[in-house]
Amino acid sequence: MNTPDRPPAPPLDIRGLRLRLPRTARPVLDGVDLTVGAGETVALVGESGSGKTLTSRSVLRLLPTGAATEGTVRVAGDDVLAMDPEQLRHLRTGTAAMIFQDPRAAINPLRRIGDFLTESLRLNTATPPAEATRRASTLLEAVGLTDAALRRYPGQLSGGMLQRVMIAAALMGEPALLLADEPTTALDVTTQAEVVSLLGDLRERFGTGLLFVTHDLGLAAAISDRVYVMYAGRIAETGPADALFSRPRHPYTAALLGSTPRLDAPPGRLVAIDGQPPGLQVELAGCPFAPRCGYATDLCRDQAPAARPLPGDPARLVACHHSDRLEGSALDG
Amino acid sequence: MDEVDQSVGATSATPVLQVSGLHRTYGAVRAVDDVSFALAAGGSLGIVGESGSGKTTTARIIVGLEQADTGRVSVNGRERTGRGRGRAHRLARAREVQLVFQDPYLSLDPRTPVGAVLREALRLHFPGADHTSRVAELLDQVGLGERSADALPRQLSGGQRQRVAIARALAVEPAVLVLDEAVAALDVSVQAQILNLLADIREQTGVGYLFITHDLGVVRCVTEQVIVMRQGRIVESGPTARVLADPQHPYTRLLLESVPRPGWDPRAIAAARRALRQA
Repeated sequence: MNTPDRPPAPPLDIRGLRLRLPRTARPVLDGVDLTVGAGETVALVGESGSGKTLTSRSVLRLLPTGAATEGTVRVAGDDVLAMDPEQLRHLRTGTAAMIFQDPRAAINPLRRIGDFLTESLRLNTATPPAEATRRASTLLEAVGLTDAALRRYPGQLSGGMLQRVMIAAALMGEPALLLADEPTTALDVTTQAEVVSLLGDLRERFGTGLLFVTHDLGLAAAISDRVYVMYAGRIAETGPADALFSRPRHPYTAALLGSTPRLDAPPGRLVAIDGQPPGLQVELAGCPFAPRCGYATDLCRDQAPAARPLPGDPARLVACHHSDRLEGSALDG
Repeated sequence: MDEVDQSVGATSATPVLQVSGLHRTYGAVRAVDDVSFALAAGGSLGIVGESGSGKTTTARIIVGLEQADTGRVSVNGRERTGRGRGRAHRLARAREVQLVFQDPYLSLDPRTPVGAVLREALRLHFPGADHTSRVAELLDQVGLGERSADALPRQLSGGQRQRVAIARALAVEPAVLVLDEAVAALDVSVQAQILNLLADIREQTGVGYLFITHDLGVVRCVTEQVIVMRQGRIVESGPTARVLADPQHPYTRLLLESVPRPGWDPRAIAAARRALRQA
């Protein structure tokens, strides 16, 4: 056969995503570009209100009422924003799956774990019940639990165990893309390590793309291949995790690193950023970070910077007029 | 553990807070099991541990929200264990130790403006005086403008609300401020502002801090002494710099290794955690 091989579509490809909510002065998401390759772990980092959670929810089209969108959100090649209800159902039960922050809020406390795990397969596919149960017990084993959990109720499991159940549930439909929204924030640090190690194993075993949404820079640096830093609905900076954290080129990334109380930073006062992110009622002219930025000039206040590749480093994109001024700064490691 | 340093923090001056032999059980669970430590005047002591370690119960006993089965808590040499005798006695006790909670949404009345929150605390403890200038001073101390006196909690950001909670705690000039995960719910950029603010306040007022947290980075940033708790017991204690640089107890080592950083190995941590649990 001589058909030209087209490279398979990446698990996630977001282009120019713009999202407006009613009664707001600026878009909540403003031109977000983001991709996740097969088997790749990508971290989306930002503070509250940055738009990171909305970005991940838009992948399943779980949007607030009245949301108006522009751009495309392609999951394994298909645009989620253009799907009909049947396609959307197929997406949410198969191609992509989400793990939420609080497993207790996402599991019906009155149903057994076995019911919860197999429900989606039983309702949406022709899978025989025995086959669904078999798959559930295989996945429970993969996440470090035993068959016994199938007959348990959520209240009988600890938070860490329940989050493993959530991960097993997310994998039931063999998704190409796993979305994890602060999946370890509610867990103790040692439990967090277990869940992260598990996600890493599963990604290797099943080749799933993983979008990991977090506010924790240290965690993002530790687990991801690439990182996107969001601020006020825009991607401020993106690139390979190690380069981005050792040599930040957007003042906001640098400020976040300076604000984080780290074990390996010099002790003493933190480099705090004054002020707070702009609210949704503030119309933005220019760079949204300019009012809090030590490098800001008139250019920044007038003209929003476009994301541009760093000279000599096309894998890194930075939306800053003055990214060159961060070269050789104190944070460069 | 038999090698727990009982004199943590009591190096120079008389300790402002002395805790000895605290026990508290709930049914069969030993929530607090023989906890003793001292906080130096104007010092800052961190209590680290995971959920169920007993750190919050210890804090609640110190503040007086919970009674210990046995053991003693004293502030500036005055015993505060047992039930308070009379209103004046209870108020005096409340003035000594103040508490800042994790969630300022839940600890502030949604209908009371910021200025009134502070006036109420001042009127309760110092009746009959005019508090106008003190309210302004407190707002200024925590970095809020005088205009915010009229604001309701919902009109403020999370960081601003936590500043209000800190101002209310400082209003009665406590000897000890207990901060129970007080910065855990804040975004990192706001958390940094509050941590710096707390450092400034301690320098200016000489108030002592008891910092309850799960975050070792925060402990490193704001405490001089630290105790590590696990299953109700103190497993390690000492100067923060030493404990973090050279941890002696396997649990302290596990906690430190669990902090994500580049080159982090979650698999090794998961294995170490299982080994420790079976030990």
